[in-house]
Amino acid sequence: MDAAERLAPVITGALTWPQICEQYPDQWVCVVDIQWAEPRMFHFRNARVVGHGTTRREPLVQARPWRDRYPEIGHFFTGKIIAPFPRFFA
Amino acid sequence: MKNETHFDPDADLIVVNATIRGPRGSTVVRMAIDTGSAATVIVPDVLDEIGYSARDGTARTSVTTAVGKEHGFLLKVAELEALGFTLPAFTVNVFELANRYGIEGLIGLNFLERFNYEIRSAEGHILVEKVAP
Repeated sequence: MDAAERLAPVITGALTWPQICEQYPDQWVCVVDIQWAEPRMFHFRNARVVGHGTTRREPLVQARPWRDRYPEIGHFFTGKIIAPFPRFFA
Repeated sequence: MKNETHFDPDADLIVVNATIRGPRGSTVVRMAIDTGSAATVIVPDVLDEIGYSARDGTARTSVTTAVGKEHGFLLKVAELEALGFTLPAFTVNVFELANRYGIEGLIGLNFLERFNYEIRSAEGHILVEKVAP
């Protein structure tokens, strides 16, 4: 069990995406109870944060205790999305 | 029927939300539309959390990058939902992408080829229409 798993599960109140970005800058976050303004919009209206960290894995581990209650968990990066990445597959 | 999906027009990439469903739940992630990639790619951490592992892989794959050849594996996920459509039993290439890119995968041609699509970059949305079988 690593440090992230030993922490007691914590959930925030409903936060907007700008609020989440401000509180957890350049981090990966896991969110639940996602309220979408409309289907297929890029940003949600609000959600509750159940994990955050500088790696992809940290918030996913912190979010495990919530998986039973919230079968759908969002996993997003609050910083700027950048290119490039590998392009050719064989 | 055309589905309209929104993306952030200020981002470096065309990134949309996608939902991956597995045996232990589902995760909403952000994936880049990549018409230069034959395969749809998802990072392993996300798939681990919804109940998949390398043992579920069906074949090893390799990716040629600027720094050499790196390895991943093919995996069939229960469902991948993106751009307003849900594809069951969909094969993805499980492959690591650097944290700093801020995305969990790429929507490649094995997803996109099933549709006609129109990317309206300045307006920040993509129109997608299923191709008749």
